[in-house]
Amino acid sequence: MREKLIELKNVTYTYEADEEGAPGYTAVRDVSLDIYKGEFVAVLGHNGSGKSTMAKTMNAIFEPTQGTVTVNGIVADSEEKGNEIRRIVGMVFQNPDNQIVATVVEDDVAFGPENLGVEPSEIRRRVDDALKTVGMYELREREPHKLSGGQKQRVAIAGVLAMQTQGIILDEPTAMLDPTGREEVLKTIIRLNKEMGITVVLITHFMDEAVHADRVVVMDGGTVIAEGTPQEIFSQEEFLKAHSLDIPQTAQLCRRLGFEECILTPDECVEKLTSVLGGAAQ
Amino acid sequence: MTYPIELRNVSYYYSPGTPLQVAALKNINLKIGEGELAGIIGHTGSGKSTLISHFNGLLRPVEGSVIIDGEDLAKDKETLRAARFKVGLCFQYPEAQLFEETVARDIAFGPKNMKLSDEEINERVKKAAEFVGLKPELLEKSPFDLSGGEKRRAAIAGVMAMEPKVLVLDEPAAGLDPGGKNEILSMISEYKKRTGCTVVLVSHSMEDIASVADRVIVMNAGTIAMDGTVDEVFSHSAELRSMGLNVPEITRIFIRLRELGYDVPADVYSVEKGAQILREMIRRRSV
Repeated sequence: MREKLIELKNVTYTYEADEEGAPGYTAVRDVSLDIYKGEFVAVLGHNGSGKSTMAKTMNAIFEPTQGTVTVNGIVADSEEKGNEIRRIVGMVFQNPDNQIVATVVEDDVAFGPENLGVEPSEIRRRVDDALKTVGMYELREREPHKLSGGQKQRVAIAGVLAMQTQGIILDEPTAMLDPTGREEVLKTIIRLNKEMGITVVLITHFMDEAVHADRVVVMDGGTVIAEGTPQEIFSQEEFLKAHSLDIPQTAQLCRRLGFEECILTPDECVEKLTSVLGGAAQ
Repeated sequence: MTYPIELRNVSYYYSPGTPLQVAALKNINLKIGEGELAGIIGHTGSGKSTLISHFNGLLRPVEGSVIIDGEDLAKDKETLRAARFKVGLCFQYPEAQLFEETVARDIAFGPKNMKLSDEEINERVKKAAEFVGLKPELLEKSPFDLSGGEKRRAAIAGVMAMEPKVLVLDEPAAGLDPGGKNEILSMISEYKKRTGCTVVLVSHSMEDIASVADRVIVMNAGTIAMDGTVDEVFSHSAELRSMGLNVPEITRIFIRLRELGYDVPADVYSVEKGAQILREMIRRRSV
């Protein structure tokens, strides 16, 4: 049986009205969602659909207004348990510049384990391993602000790895990156999941990133409105467009060609086309 | 012949004269014509932002000259000041620059600096807000109470309200969901159509550029690596990829089919065109 890492049960989160008169509002409504160990889940939804708020309840940055969040059996209902949960599930945010604290790459990665009181020799080992995993070991003595966006995000991911978390939540980690940076980060995420078995929750606006997930969750109005395999979700073009989302270009093309199966990547599409068209002999 | 934007032999260095000197632009020659919608693309650090910062004199060239609407910006202060209004620059994540108490006042900030009459300013604020699709009732709200997409629109409206001859937008769709992104892009095409103004769109995304631009300028290592129509530039997809750029998925499929020996064009970047070509091939195959 599959083990749950994160369990959201009827979770509602309401932002309170602030003193300056901004009204409060409910960003997440009655969401129940399980994330299993070793799974790669992509979360889609338009701006303001509640994705980020939900993600913040998943590692106890926000305590739910109603409902319960359980991570690896720990119920997130106090500050102490929140700290415990954040050692199990780490988070990477959109803006690489907002999450780097140190002036040298390896110090930045060491920041988390140092706070946990890990032995110095153990920290050294963890930092080296984490930097090697994200492909940043060679640049370990560099100044973070001189790195590219994709490199900074990989340092942020290494920071989570060095805490030896079981899961990682990434909130639009590639939104501010150029295509090369996006590709570097996506490859790193896939490797963490497939090779190291780390549970991944990836919030993204890029449909071509979501196709790599085991499961896709679609949010709107603070609730989960659909979930399924990438094939199940991306075969619903009209539904997704109605929620300000889209399907990958490849899927659009295959649909227009009348292919019955939901084809999501250029490689699969080329394979299908060569079988339909026969050999290349013209 | 005068051009809204003309750069002659422009070079720009960061930290000039020090051992840390870095050439950000190297001998750039560029003309952007009246009513053109030009896309500028390049990876992070390729010089895109440095380039557009020259268009309204935010950066002054170390070598060469920048001629806006026929006037060399180095001529005098008045010319430089005029260029700030002729070329409206909207930077990445412009919503971070909203600061006024109300949305209306934020949009009015630029026109106010132009010393226009209150009446004229109000008129322009209304027009720009309507154009970007901000409902009138939002105008009296604090910009901080808007949603992410609305903030982005308010910031763009602020630049449009200056009614510049040239509108320059740096990554206007970054971070938006697919629906919001399509809306911003069609808004930009519509703006060009309606006003006839020159528009320069800077982006990482080939898909975005291909969907709206007439012309694509590819920046790489501080130089213009390619300059042509969307079709011309996309037919060099291997080179684009070597410059850290990504070609649309559709283009990748066609390139692969060509490599496999199929007789298909390499410059296909839209789903519609791709589907049309493939449908025809499948039909011929089954005859």
